[in-house]
Amino acid sequence: MSEQLSADIVVIGSGIIGALAARRLAQQGASVLILEAGPRLERARVVAAFRNSPIKGNWMAPYPPSPWAPHPIYAPKDNGYLKQAGPYPYPAEYIRAVGGTTWHWAAQAWRLVPNDVRIKSLYGVGVDWPLSYEELDPWYQEAEEILGVAGADDTGSPRQHPFPMAPVAEPWSMRRFRERLAPTYAVVANTVARNSRSYDGRPACVGNNSCQPICPVNAQYLGINAVEAAEAAGAKVVPNAVVYRIEHDARGRIAAVHYYAPDKSEHRVTGKQFILAANGIESPKLLLLSASDTYPNGLANRSGMVGRHLMDHPSTSLSFYADEELWLGRGPQSPSSINTLRDGAFRSRHAPYRLDFTNISQVLNVTNDLIKEGVYGAEFEKQLRWRAARQVNVKNVLEVLPNPDNRITLSAEKDAMGIPKPEAHYAIDDYTRRAAEVSKADFARIAELMGGTGLRYSADGQFANNQHITGTMSMGNDPASSVVDAFGRTHDHENLFICSTGVMPTAATMNSTLTGVALALRTAEHILPAKQLRTTTAHSDREASLA
Amino acid sequence: MALDEPDSVAANRDDPADPSRRRLLAGLLTAYTASLIPWALAQPAPHADRGAFTALSAILVGRQALDAAQAGRLYDALAAAHPNFPADVQALLTLINERHIDPLQLQATLDGEHSPLAPLPRSIVGAWALGVVGSGEGARCVAYETALNAVIVADVLKPPTYAYGAYGSWTVKPNI
Repeated sequence: MSEQLSADIVVIGSGIIGALAARRLAQQGASVLILEAGPRLERARVVAAFRNSPIKGNWMAPYPPSPWAPHPIYAPKDNGYLKQAGPYPYPAEYIRAVGGTTWHWAAQAWRLVPNDVRIKSLYGVGVDWPLSYEELDPWYQEAEEILGVAGADDTGSPRQHPFPMAPVAEPWSMRRFRERLAPTYAVVANTVARNSRSYDGRPACVGNNSCQPICPVNAQYLGINAVEAAEAAGAKVVPNAVVYRIEHDARGRIAAVHYYAPDKSEHRVTGKQFILAANGIESPKLLLLSASDTYPNGLANRSGMVGRHLMDHPSTSLSFYADEELWLGRGPQSPSSINTLRDGAFRSRHAPYRLDFTNISQVLNVTNDLIKEGVYGAEFEKQLRWRAARQVNVKNVLEVLPNPDNRITLSAEKDAMGIPKPEAHYAIDDYTRRAAEVSKADFARIAELMGGTGLRYSADGQFANNQHITGTMSMGNDPASSVVDAFGRTHDHENLFICSTGVMPTAATMNSTLTGVALALRTAEHILPAKQLRTTTAHSDREASLA
Repeated sequence: MALDEPDSVAANRDDPADPSRRRLLAGLLTAYTASLIPWALAQPAPHADRGAFTALSAILVGRQALDAAQAGRLYDALAAAHPNFPADVQALLTLINERHIDPLQLQATLDGEHSPLAPLPRSIVGAWALGVVGSGEGARCVAYETALNAVIVADVLKPPTYAYGAYGSWTVKPNI
């Protein structure tokens, strides 16, 4: 590829967020180029890779990294890509491929609750967002209508207009939780980008119970759907384009980005506006990599905040046997949760949390347990059925506050292309740990109400990670303490925008994808207002706005 | 109950054609182990190594029938992964035959005696139940939909990635 590429808008990263920003801008007439470090994937091959995988409990196994665009892999052994500086491990998972990490996700498409964006004012912790929930509402709605979100109204997140579709049909197991936990706890349907009816050419869910690692039937919205929609709108995707430097001009505007092809040939792409959408780890990595004489600490980093305020959602959990047969594994994987603890005055003392019930088939875990325990003979089959029918799990999804010491930096180690690897510095503070302790009482009460036996709490002080990479390029009004403004524009570079869950100033308790998409749509509108579509001289207007 | 496809148990691999030399699995068992897998007594065991594997597998997973074609595949995969596999299988079967070890006590017994055979039951049960042979980076999947952990619950669940049924079919109580 020797020709120089150029476009009105250059998007770095083809995940659900970057692709939907690209789609919106392409729909408005801009020429859009999406650069993706990883390769294109085929759904059917991912399904086959999962079925043939010897480690089916590991959902990254069907997504082996490409040598030129590695991503973290931890099983069967750590590939050493995301370096760990401690003190607490941050084993983030993500996928570098066309479509990005939502190739495998539970399709949880949650809004925040209104108070999530005001926790400093209300509870004296964290920071306030530079925008209100009310300002986010129409962008949430637009995102929900694109993704096809099914949800219930009683989750704590108000809305002006109805969901595009009704909640996904409740599995029997979740019905029994709802019935038996009432009135102590309200168990409600999760808000998900999963079809409860045919929507936008995609079918309703048929209960494959493999939402992670892959929905085989296209009933759940994935990043690849967003990419295909962007392409249909005119955007061009360049896969296997590993961006390694963002170039600025003398005025501090971005002039071009540089990428390696897998053969390490170098390519330069020019544009008028640039959107960095390579997730909360790869994006700050790229900003730091792009340091120059003018910007010795990296681009967009006058505040020194690039890479800082890394957040995610840690979880602790309880597994137990219910006193009736529930047979998790019928229907989608993550259908129901308890949302009443997402907000409250307690947030001044400890983290809020959501309580989430899994409906993932327990057969694999139970089989592994039986083999580990050496349960052989006639008892093997008997125990397998008994446990698979009754084993259940509840986990918390805990908020982590923004802390500048939790951060992504550049490692001294380099990947196969000679690009420094990202390094995670992470700790889980007492605010979050106190909530984990408090939630144990909820776990115990839930087990009691379900007639639970064989209670197995996750080990004290041990947290599972939820791969909701948040922070690292936080938005705010003050250029001294934030990376982007309320519209996702970097404070330091007029034509560089960031679309990512990485711009979220706080993590709240909800899966971050929908908020990231809503913010990206708002950013796209800011770059090129949709109303210009309706003008007869759209092209000249566009040229003016892009100049 | 019989093997699903009894005649295919290694029948075409190395079985002498002379029917007078036909051996039965029963010949590999004692009264004790035969009592664990009574269905197997009349099954052909043309090859002692494969016959012993079938008998030991049946004892370990507690099934009254095992798919013969799958037994062949698993044997081949396990034998390729473990250098002394045939001899170890024979040795473990002999141990159970002679000492009348309850399958439920087998692992604890082997672990307690620091037996070199201790890893064997987990390898065999893992192969049958998970369809996985080997471990770590050497692990490979040789069965999924026909692994026992799918077969044992097939009346209630589909293996993940297979559609459960029409939209909403999962809302009703499982019909066990």
